[in-house]
Amino acid sequence: MSHIHIDIQNLSFAYEEQQPILQNITLHASEHEAIGIIGANGVGKSTLLKLLVGLYLNFSGHIRIEEIPVEAKTLPLIREKIGYVFQDSDSQLFMTTAYEDIAFAPRNYGLPEAEVERRVTQALKLVGIQHLRDKQIFKMSGGEKKLVSLATILSLTPDIILLDEPSVALDPRNRRQLIKLLNSFEHLKIIATHDLDLVLDTCQRTIILANGRIVADGPTQELLTNRKLLEDNGLELPLSLSRK
Amino acid sequence: MNKISGALTEINKLNSTAQGSSVMHRLHPLAKLLLTIFYIAMLMSFGKYQIFGLVSMSIYLFIGFHLSRLSLKEGLWRLRLILPLVSMVGLANPFFDSHQFVFGSQTLNAGWISFITLMLKGIFAVLASYLLIATTSIEQICYAMRLAHLPKILVTQFLLTYRYLTLLLEQADTISQAYALRAPKQTGIHFKVWGTLAGQLLLRSIDRANALYDSMLLRGYQGEYYYGGPLAAWNKKDWRYLVSIVFLLLLLRLLPWSLLYTKILGGKFL
Repeated sequence: MSHIHIDIQNLSFAYEEQQPILQNITLHASEHEAIGIIGANGVGKSTLLKLLVGLYLNFSGHIRIEEIPVEAKTLPLIREKIGYVFQDSDSQLFMTTAYEDIAFAPRNYGLPEAEVERRVTQALKLVGIQHLRDKQIFKMSGGEKKLVSLATILSLTPDIILLDEPSVALDPRNRRQLIKLLNSFEHLKIIATHDLDLVLDTCQRTIILANGRIVADGPTQELLTNRKLLEDNGLELPLSLSRK
Repeated sequence: MNKISGALTEINKLNSTAQGSSVMHRLHPLAKLLLTIFYIAMLMSFGKYQIFGLVSMSIYLFIGFHLSRLSLKEGLWRLRLILPLVSMVGLANPFFDSHQFVFGSQTLNAGWISFITLMLKGIFAVLASYLLIATTSIEQICYAMRLAHLPKILVTQFLLTYRYLTLLLEQADTISQAYALRAPKQTGIHFKVWGTLAGQLLLRSIDRANALYDSMLLRGYQGEYYYGGPLAAWNKKDWRYLVSIVFLLLLLRLLPWSLLYTKILGGKFL
């Protein structure tokens, strides 16, 4: 088994009793994999990602990140290994400038200022936004904010990246840039999205969720070309395929 | 632009101003914070008739505005919100203060002097605070507060309240715009929907605040705010500025200003 992996066994979760969001989810994700999680609205895609970083701990079953169980006492360690990009960048960014926001996590982990500076510079370079270093967040466009959000998680050099609807509110150019960027990352990536074309362009493996359960798990090319499977689960063929 | 958008613009403008690079901006945030507190304490120490001494304290503001390259005019413009409040507080003085100030054959109701003194104290204190926040980001102020050994919980509250304020305003702005678009003939928000909108505002802003807090937690936040930016180190120029301004303010405070009334103007309080 590779060093970097996620292991989920019989995971179930409900915000309120009697209203289960996720039921009996079991999956394994390995190093360098890029997995797209798709499904109709409200099937629990975002919830699954939030459970992986321990934002909710009242689940049943087991979640292990690199053999570390997700529980209250392991959260700092888990969150150092996983970078989570929120759907809404305005919910992710809260400092005044890009530099301050990207430096927030390394500082919290007690890194010396010279190392913080190095990490921020490296994260900015990886995402290709060195020019935004001192730009104020409120002056940024949606695309710029999304890229800064990505940089904020990269400053901790995570092994795993979780992205919740990363292409929402991006124009075609920014979306293309994001896809290129995601493909350049060698991390284990899990992307929860409605943008099936994005999944087609970035993920080799796809998981379809419906009614809180995994209904399909397999190669993206195979699943996203199966019209019946998609339509049975409230989805449609990706736009790029439906035109053919 | 409605009032909420205006308030948001003001906050964003202030954030931009705080990112400047003047001498004042480059001073250590703790030096600026301590000086502001010291200055306000000095202002408060003046008696209600010590108007000349109080006026001399304006020198701190002139120096500060000059070094920060901020517009004093803009600072004064921002006073418009606080000025009516300060006026209200002191408005009764001319009527209830029975003392008289006599110089030569002229007699002046001392209540007017105490009223002006109170106004000046308010104006100077607000301008000094403006000088601080317009040259120091909220992160730097929080960092300075922690260096001054203020409790962690208090600093966190301060920082999050500031963040929450922006969130609240953003949500209020969105709600009021959505309302205005569907109620084009109304000038404000009808009182019948105040309750619903206030509830919506609270729920939405709590949601957003929770998301932001999650984002902080995911990036290792554990209740302590760390700042290590370029201003983290305290150096000689900070000492020089702090000591010289404290010395100047103390000197002005200790000057026998009352002699100006009695010897030069030849007046006295009755």
